[in-house]
Amino acid sequence: MVSISTDFSILGFQSISPQPVICNVKHRISINAIKFQMEVRFNSTNLKWNRKNLRRMFSVRAAENSENSNEKRVREQIEMEGRADPEKMFSRMRESINALPPIILTMKRSTGTNFAIGLFIAISMVVIVVREISVRKTRYNQRGSVVDLVKRGQLRSDRRGISRPLKYDDPFNNPLVKVGKGNSTVEMCGKVYRLAPVTLTEDQQSVHQKRRSRAYQWKRPTVFLKEGDAIPPDVDPDTIRWIPANHPFATTVTDIDENLAQNNVYQKDGVPFRIKAEHDALQRKLEALQSEQKLNKMAIDPSSIREFERPFKSFSKAQEQVEQNQNSANHQGSHINTSKSDAELDSFENNATSEELKKP
Amino acid sequence: MASLQLLPINPSSLHTSSPLLPILNPHKTLTPKKLKKTLPPLQSVIQWNRKPQLTGETPRIIVITSGKGGVGKTTTTANVGLSLARLNFSVVAIDADVGLRNLDLLLGLENRVNYTAIEVLNGDCRLDQALVRDKRWSNFELLCISKPRSKLPLGFGGKALIWLVDALKSRPEGSPDFILIDCPAGIDAGFITAITPANEAVLVTTPDITSLRDADRVTGLLECDGIKDIKMIVNRVRTDLIRGEDMMSVLDVQEMLGLALLGVIPEDSEVIRSTNRGYPLVLNKPPTLAGLAFEQAAWRLVEQDSMKAVMVEEEPKKRGFFSFFGG
Repeated sequence: MVSISTDFSILGFQSISPQPVICNVKHRISINAIKFQMEVRFNSTNLKWNRKNLRRMFSVRAAENSENSNEKRVREQIEMEGRADPEKMFSRMRESINALPPIILTMKRSTGTNFAIGLFIAISMVVIVVREISVRKTRYNQRGSVVDLVKRGQLRSDRRGISRPLKYDDPFNNPLVKVGKGNSTVEMCGKVYRLAPVTLTEDQQSVHQKRRSRAYQWKRPTVFLKEGDAIPPDVDPDTIRWIPANHPFATTVTDIDENLAQNNVYQKDGVPFRIKAEHDALQRKLEALQSEQKLNKMAIDPSSIREFERPFKSFSKAQEQVEQNQNSANHQGSHINTSKSDAELDSFENNATSEELKKP
Repeated sequence: MASLQLLPINPSSLHTSSPLLPILNPHKTLTPKKLKKTLPPLQSVIQWNRKPQLTGETPRIIVITSGKGGVGKTTTTANVGLSLARLNFSVVAIDADVGLRNLDLLLGLENRVNYTAIEVLNGDCRLDQALVRDKRWSNFELLCISKPRSKLPLGFGGKALIWLVDALKSRPEGSPDFILIDCPAGIDAGFITAITPANEAVLVTTPDITSLRDADRVTGLLECDGIKDIKMIVNRVRTDLIRGEDMMSVLDVQEMLGLALLGVIPEDSEVIRSTNRGYPLVLNKPPTLAGLAFEQAAWRLVEQDSMKAVMVEEEPKKRGFFSFFGG
């Protein structure tokens, strides 16, 4: 096809030249036309065209095509000088020559766009490859990633990424959870997850337990000694702990008796021990105070004292009595009220006497 | 009601009374014939249509520890404890931190703590007077060991905690189903005191190397003290950082420690808000992801189960050809 086009270009240039050259060109055209016709026949089988259809197409194209003046001249000359050739050959040649321009023109038109498309595809492929390479490089060159742990020997590199995906049937029928068919992916909250089965076996667990038993030897401390204490006999030295004197948790003497503490914990109902103990102590104190007051009352005659006491002293004594009675009334029951009333009466009396004394 | 009292742990009898269960089986009603029915074998695969079945010897005495401070022990104790209470189990939570008490703050009960275990030991009050009952869930009670200024004698602490647990077992209203002990940070006297009465342990850790080293040490000490049933909760998990390989995955953590997984709790800002409000995370409506994870962990704790698979975040599916161009 290219050879024909080049010949045609030569033809175009040589159309201006003198006639003998045209004869040679004619022969060349005829030979090339025959060659082209052969090629067209071969191509027609691929394009599912008949010879007849092809000729018709060419003849239609020849009729429609607007040709230049040089080509017209060439055709006329061929017609004139080709009268001696058989009619079939002539008609075939004519059709083939007429068919040439449309194909060549379309090829000339489409080369530009084909080139652009090819260039675009090539550039896009290059961009994709470069991007993938850069992403992979950054992924493996990041500092502070799990790769560093593998390098330091904290993680084994051969065990990473060997688990097979687990097939999981979703029983929840939750529209927010989308399970991928075929692969075990689950889409949840906008993220895609995959189920990775746990790979820990019982053998591996026992290996870890043995490693820890060798690494960490520890016994629970049961004996706590401070400086200067002797080690009791028949005691495992691993269970002894020495507490320095300035340790914040050091207690030389326990404030609470162990048995007492245990009983306190196991108590189910009733008043707690310390509350009861405090209550009992207070009760005893009040009883002691009451007995002292009674003794005081019996020994001293308040009426004899009034004549000689200053009003201030008697008033203050009455106040103290009232306060004592009030305090005792908070802790005790009805028998306090009587004493209080007595005290009140006394206080009223004292007040009355004090007022009497104040009056001139 | 009499039938319910006779069979308190029967899941079919408590099926309709649990607030968490969805109304999916309306045809099931309480009948004497159904109560006599034998229970089907336990299957932990589908967990949404039944109450968890309590396994193990009651009361289950569980210490929640970590070694490293600030990983979420107290948050775990509060949330798991309330989840258990919501599942109709009686729970007593003990804050065993002598001196730095904060479980009451998380639960919003700080104004109601008048007596502590020290007052019980001293005889200032009884044990039932020192227990603070939560008004939201009446089967959840809190016991604090001490007020900030008081101290417990060094060799005395472990015994005191044993007495307290024994007294709780033998109290008139019945033994609690769960006793959760919130352990203080570190491995000194407070830790030794807290682990004394425990039969099981829940180790709370975060996916960073410092926490894991401390957790490994604590696990070794627990095993030396005779506590073999140790399960792990991985807290503050960032799936996006794990995807970008900036944080260890949960499976990596398990590989390092070699412990069964009880739960994986994602990082959630709602934890801080719930602490500020004194309203634990699991009571939020709608529930957050971390709250759901705590509930699932509580479920597994009841049935002595562990996680069989973990969720790993993946790259979202790229749609369209033009996403290759940086879209």
